[in-house]
Amino acid sequence: MTKKMIGGLVSGLIVLGLLVSNAPAKTLKIGMMGPLTGPYAADGNDIANGVRVAIDVINEAGGIPGFDSIELFPQDTACDPKQAVAAANNLINEEVIGVVGAYCSSSTIPASETLAEEDILMLTPASTNEKVTDRGLPYMFRVCGRDDDQAPAAVKFMKEALGAKTVFIIDDKTTYSQGLADGVNKSSQAMGLTVLAHEHVNQGDKDFSAVLTKVKAANPDILYMSLQNHSSGSLMAIQAKRMKLSSKILSQDAMFHPNFISVGKEAAEGVYVTFGFTDPSTPAYKKFADKFTAKHGKIGAYAIYAYDAATVLLNGIKNAGSVKPADVKAEIMKLEFQGASKAIKFNEKGDSGSSYIAFKIEGGEYKPYWHPTEGFYK
Amino acid sequence: MDVFIQQVINALTLGGLYALIALGYTMVYGVIQLINFAHGEFFAAGGYIGVLLLGVMGGMGYMETHPWLCLSISLVLTMAYCAFLAMGVERIAYKPLRKQTRLAALISALGMSIFLSNGMMLARGPLDQPYPLQYSSGGFEFGLITINNLQIVIWVLTAVLLVGLNILVFKTRIGMAMRATAQDKVMSSLVAISANKIIALTFAIGAGLAAAAGIMVGLYYGSVRYDMGFVPGIKAFAAAVLGGIGNITGAMIGGFIIGTVEVFGAAYISGEYKDVFAFIILIAVLYFKPTGIMGENIDDTRV
Repeated sequence: MTKKMIGGLVSGLIVLGLLVSNAPAKTLKIGMMGPLTGPYAADGNDIANGVRVAIDVINEAGGIPGFDSIELFPQDTACDPKQAVAAANNLINEEVIGVVGAYCSSSTIPASETLAEEDILMLTPASTNEKVTDRGLPYMFRVCGRDDDQAPAAVKFMKEALGAKTVFIIDDKTTYSQGLADGVNKSSQAMGLTVLAHEHVNQGDKDFSAVLTKVKAANPDILYMSLQNHSSGSLMAIQAKRMKLSSKILSQDAMFHPNFISVGKEAAEGVYVTFGFTDPSTPAYKKFADKFTAKHGKIGAYAIYAYDAATVLLNGIKNAGSVKPADVKAEIMKLEFQGASKAIKFNEKGDSGSSYIAFKIEGGEYKPYWHPTEGFYK
Repeated sequence: MDVFIQQVINALTLGGLYALIALGYTMVYGVIQLINFAHGEFFAAGGYIGVLLLGVMGGMGYMETHPWLCLSISLVLTMAYCAFLAMGVERIAYKPLRKQTRLAALISALGMSIFLSNGMMLARGPLDQPYPLQYSSGGFEFGLITINNLQIVIWVLTAVLLVGLNILVFKTRIGMAMRATAQDKVMSSLVAISANKIIALTFAIGAGLAAAAGIMVGLYYGSVRYDMGFVPGIKAFAAAVLGGIGNITGAMIGGFIIGTVEVFGAAYISGEYKDVFAFIILIAVLYFKPTGIMGENIDDTRV
């Protein structure tokens, strides 16, 4: 009897000891969502890799106090609104604290509403549509610029830098591409640039000969090409070149991708795009670029914004010393620093400012060409 | 007027490509009454093999010295490869089901389509594969009208292939055997025509034509992607039905009609509904003539 009791006590103590020493490691869970498969997979994987680099950098600097490790949960949205909501639900089930994503505005908007129900922070590195931060969601942040800044910058560029008088606008009817095209249309009228026509094509179309023939007949100074994706963009640029279209082509941030040039080749030469300005000489950029290229190769358009978004999220959690959304938000609002992409400071809407400049593709590279206030680059 | 002529040129190019793909649907349907939904994938495979071959030749430096020779060689090899691929697909996915209900083979075809397209994605990744050469500058100009060299290549090649197919089907013994098999498999086997061989040959020819379209699309548009077979496949299927499925001449006419309607719909009505116009025409024709445009003499000319 006593022997049994002692035996029971001892074994009980051993079990207790095991429990104490094997206390579960505390893991900080963060999510990422973007198109990891399908036509926009390149952009989605750039974003995932940007987040991974940010986690590596934080870990090297000692990690986040109170947590043993940081785990990333990447989710595929395929740039499809329905799948984006499913991805958001998966991340809710994983109990992540914050999410970096998504890529397409049409995914970010519905996913953010699902995440908002659980007070999960969302930081988009790439969705530029105004509505993303204009809906008053308390935990929605944006690291890239806004289309209502991009559109006027584009119009100013066409008018002042290129001396254009007429523009022909084509979009492919996504939240992002049509929103931006409408913005350019509106700003053009306000700033005295004649819009000859505003045509729509379908997302994923391959043959643009019919609409480009119309462009050629209208003979605008500029063809404003607002498409969701660089693969449609390179097709349109090639076909425009084949038709010997003399108009200059201006496009937007979605065309800021190495694949636009590698597919478009000589047709991509001379195309202008508006994209956020990144100063490659800052230490923050260099640190990011070294780490990224060593592990993941070529830096895609939005990898750098994803890196900054994840850095903001992780530093917010670190500074707050808690994972309560309200505390983390308060710390994120206090952040003011030189990120890898740009100087970051959030306003009450969750935007961090735009820095759109015009690039020109020359010699297979995006070269900074014109700045809205400082004029041409040398 | 210039714009109109330019749109006609655009329509001819697109229509020719649809016609080449549509032939594969219609020939297979003519012989075994199967709608081969994996046919669009033979078209995509053609584009992919073309990228690989031209890439290899470019890497060896022949592309700059003998571009036309390289192009011809890759065209022939691509068509041959896809012909064998189609025969393999027929052997694996359709032949075992030939005695089953038609629905079984149809579902097998859908499965094969998904399998092939995902196979291409796994092999080469989800990104666009750029074609190594682009004849973006060469061509003719008359006022506003431009005709690209590549468009001329597409027209000539389409014409050669269409005429060649017509000769093969209507003037040779093989063609006679194909027509006989299409009309009555039992009777034709009694006169020593092997139905299996003829069916395999039909798949091979259809896929070869689709592969030619695939490589031309790659050259003309500058890139190919693993899922490129789906939409053109559906439109070519519509073209085949429009022309009267099972009828070769019908498929050619149907292809050009779909191409023309699409281009002119986009040009003069609305670019965003261009896919709708092709299908409106299809529905309208089938409403008044359910057998399709050339559907009436189905017994004599179908293959």
